[in-house]
Amino acid sequence: MTIWAVLQILILILIVVGSVLAVWLKDLLASVIALGGSSLLLSLEFYLLQAPDVAIAEAGVGAALTTAIFVLAIRKTQRKEEE
Amino acid sequence: MSVVVRTIARILAPVILVFGGYVILHGHLTPGGGFQGGAVAASAVALVLVAFGAPAVKRLKAPFSVLEDLGGVAFVVLGFLGLGFTFFANSLAGMGSLFGTPVPPGPNPGYLNTAGTLPLMNWAVGLKVIGGLGTVLVLFGLVGRDDDR
Amino acid sequence: MKRWLTLAAFAVVAGCLFLAGARMRPFGAPRFDLMDRYFNAWSQKEVAANNVVTAIVFDYRGYDTLGEATVLFVAVVGVTLILRRIKK
Repeated sequence: MTIWAVLQILILILIVVGSVLAVWLKDLLASVIALGGSSLLLSLEFYLLQAPDVAIAEAGVGAALTTAIFVLAIRKTQRKEEE
Repeated sequence: MSVVVRTIARILAPVILVFGGYVILHGHLTPGGGFQGGAVAASAVALVLVAFGAPAVKRLKAPFSVLEDLGGVAFVVLGFLGLGFTFFANSLAGMGSLFGTPVPPGPNPGYLNTAGTLPLMNWAVGLKVIGGLGTVLVLFGLVGRDDDR
Repeated sequence: MKRWLTLAAFAVVAGCLFLAGARMRPFGAPRFDLMDRYFNAWSQKEVAANNVVTAIVFDYRGYDTLGEATVLFVAVVGVTLILRRIKK
C-alpha cells in the first residue's frame, strides 16, 4: 500500500464526512460550506485519478457555482432549519 | 456581506477572470477547455454577486445574454465551416493559415498557433458558458426580496 | 415492515456496488482500448492538437458538444422565461 493509496482513502473518508455533515447540520450556511468542501475534495480526488479536465469542471461548477447559488437562496429565505 | 468579504472579492475576482481566460485560451494545449474555463470565469461573477449583491452586478450592464447567443451562433458557424468535408470537420488544421501550424508528433512544449478551429470553438463555448451561467446567476440574485443579514 | 424494506433495498444496492468494485479491472487497463490507442496515435496528426481530450470533444465527437451547448441554451432560456417578470 503506497502513500498515494493512503491519501486517496483519506480523501474518500473526508468526502463521506463532509456529506454527512451537510445533511446533519442545522445551520444551513454551515451545511452549504460543508457541501462545497466535500465537492472540492472530490475534485482533488479526480485530479489524483489523472483526470484534470473533470477536476477543473468539478471545482468550477460543484465547489463555486453551486455554493454561490445556495448562498443566494439562503440569503433570500431563512438561515436556520425549522424543527 | 461584510467588509472582509468585499475586500477579498475585490482582490480575487480579476485573478479568477484571468485564470478562466487562460484555461480557455490554452484549451488545446493544457487540461481544460471551453466549458471548464467558462465555469471558472463564471465563478468570478458568482463571487462578485455574493459579495456585492445582485443590483450592483446588474448596474455593471455586462451583456451576459448577448454573449451567450453570440457564443452559440459562433459555435454552429464554426461547425458549418468544415462542410466541404463533413459537419464539424477541422478544415483549418495544418493548412498554414490561422491556427494552422502542424505540430511535430510526440512530446513537444506546445505551440499556441496550432489545432485549426479548436481554439475558436473553445472561445465560442467559453463565451457561451460565461454568458449562460452569468445570466442564470444574475436572475437568481434579482428574484425575491433580499434581507442582508 | 417499512424499515425492513428500506434495509433490504440498502443491502442489495450496497452489495451490488461492492461486487462491482471488487470485480473492477486495474487502473489504467480497460478491457477495450482500440479507440484509445487510435486517438493517442493520430490526434496530433489529424487535429494538430496536443490536448487529446479537447481534440475528442471538439473534433471527433463534435455532435456531443453541440448537444451540450443546446442543453445549456435551453436551460438559460427556461430560467429567463420563468424569472423575467419577477425582476424589477
